[in-house]
Amino acid sequence: MRHKWLVAVMVLAVLALVLPQASAQRVVVMKVWAIGPDNPSVNRFNNVVTAADRLNAELRREGAGVQIKVEGSFDTTGWDSYLRRALLAFQSGDAPDIIQAAHPQTATWAAAGFIIALDEMIPKYRQFNDVVPSLWDAVKFKGKIWGIPQDTEARPIYFNKALLRRLGWTDQQIAELPGRITRGDFTWDDVMVTARDAVQKNVVERGKGYYHRPTPGPDFLQWYRSHGGRDFEAASGKLVFTKEAALRYFRWLRTAVDQGVLERDRLNNEWPRFFQPVSDGKVLFFSGGTWNWAELEREWLNAKGGDEWLFANIGFAPHPTWRKGGRAITMSQPQAYMIPVASKNKDLAIRLIAYTTVPDLDAKHAVGSAHLPVLSSTARLVKDRFLKEVSYLLNFTTFQPPHANLAEWHGALFRGVSAVESGQATPEQAVDLVAAEMQRTIRDQVIIE
Amino acid sequence: MQSQAEATPVRAGPVVRAALLQRYAAPAIFLLPATVLIVLFFLVPVFTTLYLSMTDISVLTFRNPQWAGLENYRTLLQDPFLGKIMLNTARYVGFTLLFNVGMGLVLALLSTSVPERYGNQMRAVWLLPRILPPVVYVLIWQGLSRDAPFGLISSLTGSERSFISGHPWAAIVLANGMVGASFGLLIFTSAIRSISQDLFYAAAVDGATTLQTIRRIVLPMLKWPILFVTAYQTLSLLTSFEYILLLTQGGPGFFTTTVWSLHAYNLALSNYFGNVQFGLGAAMAAVLVVIGIIVSVLYLRIFNFRALVAEPKIEVN
Repeated sequence: MRHKWLVAVMVLAVLALVLPQASAQRVVVMKVWAIGPDNPSVNRFNNVVTAADRLNAELRREGAGVQIKVEGSFDTTGWDSYLRRALLAFQSGDAPDIIQAAHPQTATWAAAGFIIALDEMIPKYRQFNDVVPSLWDAVKFKGKIWGIPQDTEARPIYFNKALLRRLGWTDQQIAELPGRITRGDFTWDDVMVTARDAVQKNVVERGKGYYHRPTPGPDFLQWYRSHGGRDFEAASGKLVFTKEAALRYFRWLRTAVDQGVLERDRLNNEWPRFFQPVSDGKVLFFSGGTWNWAELEREWLNAKGGDEWLFANIGFAPHPTWRKGGRAITMSQPQAYMIPVASKNKDLAIRLIAYTTVPDLDAKHAVGSAHLPVLSSTARLVKDRFLKEVSYLLNFTTFQPPHANLAEWHGALFRGVSAVESGQATPEQAVDLVAAEMQRTIRDQVIIE
Repeated sequence: MQSQAEATPVRAGPVVRAALLQRYAAPAIFLLPATVLIVLFFLVPVFTTLYLSMTDISVLTFRNPQWAGLENYRTLLQDPFLGKIMLNTARYVGFTLLFNVGMGLVLALLSTSVPERYGNQMRAVWLLPRILPPVVYVLIWQGLSRDAPFGLISSLTGSERSFISGHPWAAIVLANGMVGASFGLLIFTSAIRSISQDLFYAAAVDGATTLQTIRRIVLPMLKWPILFVTAYQTLSLLTSFEYILLLTQGGPGFFTTTVWSLHAYNLALSNYFGNVQFGLGAAMAAVLVVIGIIVSVLYLRIFNFRALVAEPKIEVN
């Protein structure tokens, strides 16, 4: 036939298409979701991509016939929408293979049955042996481990050295301040006196003596703790609310507002209204997190010299306590990688996480976003001055308690702070309202003392 | 004779049915798309909400929610802030409605009493808040309301505080009102324009002042538009909370400006700390549906809706 050659060509073409498939690698798509929401934390996602490249090389060497392709997103919008997306993803079965969230989510999601326990998988990978041991407590719930720590941080109180100098402090006094706070020699009352002094002497404007975060968050727990409050009873596994400590905390806030140290509307603002006065050098004390250092350096202080300006003007220490001789305190909220129940590639997922939990990637994220590393051997690789100087805070750190109803606890406390600062309730009324709200929403899982 | 009487209904049955089918088939088919939409987007959500409100579904029980009966409603009744939230809702709806309808009326009267091209421009400007996306609109309000020395309002009034935190209710009513007034403005304007000019000439000839013209001629003709705008905006205000959410987040403090729908949203969907209760939020929403139905029926009764849609008594050929 005239067309014999045409048929032969077609058959060859089909064979050429089909045959290579038989020996091609199977590509597994791993969906990874990560969130900042601060921009510098993008390595939470990028590190997984790098780890996937390394894992692919290893898989090729093993001849496993599988290659990993990482897809997913790094969220910079906010926790609210991210957690909502996650919830819908879990329920629809279209969940990611690896999801990163703050460690309290391990309790909630474990209780809801959305993520798997990792106890059996962890011993298989020696990378996990290097994780700082205390961090495993943050991801434990009901005796099992539900996530792999991804990073940690600390939440210091920052102070403006230039303003303290204008107030009359000597350089030596300023250098001693972190030590005094750590020893319990400089308490919240001393913070109040210093800030009030600064306002009265016009070193700072009214309301700029002390700044704290403008949105809900876990930080209020550490400030409540620093006033002597308990929040968790390990024996019964229940949450606790200490009215006396809350009263002390609320009274401090109320006094601060009345004396012009703290703005009445501190809570009704957005983050730019926190960062702008801070980076203008107008705020004397402000509570924040170690990652704020990176945010300030990169996004607010570019024109002023970034890091240099910060080291020259801003000092940091763990948060003071309420009585002399007490112990300073800070809080860490480690982020963790978790594996949803709905994931179809759990073994590959944990292996990928193991490849992500290596010192060089840990250091890359820590230095890049001013979070703290989770691996003991990362310290050798980190030459960043800030991280070196701030890591002692980890000796004073605490975590949020592992309880599925922690969200209601936080919500009630936040409302109390908001009521006291805005003047809507007196400290005594606010404490009673918070206790009643906790009792109503958490019922028998909370102890009011 | 008996057999005849018996025979008639038996024979008429299928015939009557066929006739009915023929008469209503075409209208039914024409109504079908709209009916499907109404059922899908209005009725199904109502029943779903009612169903959800009877379960204990939350983040923790998302996988296997249990039937809870009226437990959520009991929890709601025990909420110490429920009275405050109801009061806030009444305040919000009442004041904003007053502003919306009143301002819309005033603006309509003003813009129709000037030459048309100026009136058109004035109405176009007043439409701008409605056209802007709510977030952008609130950003502008936040910029205006910043505490001294950044905000325009604080500079003008001499107060130090942010206008929104200092007077949250005023900020909310004004922000919502400026958006809502344009709705009344458009409807009242078209109603005023449709009043026959003869009536105005007659009034002028009779020596009526402007105020009398408005009171005796314009307002009575606007009775139905005012009813419509009031009813529509009451229902829309009962369920809207986006400006409150953006402006004050329901604060400051313990539910100062939280309205019913905002509280339902917070319970059901606001996820900052990661644990929400959909069942409880659905219960609040279900109560809102019932309130909405009651309010609609009340309005229709008060303003005699039947008379509005009745056949006219005069036939014009």
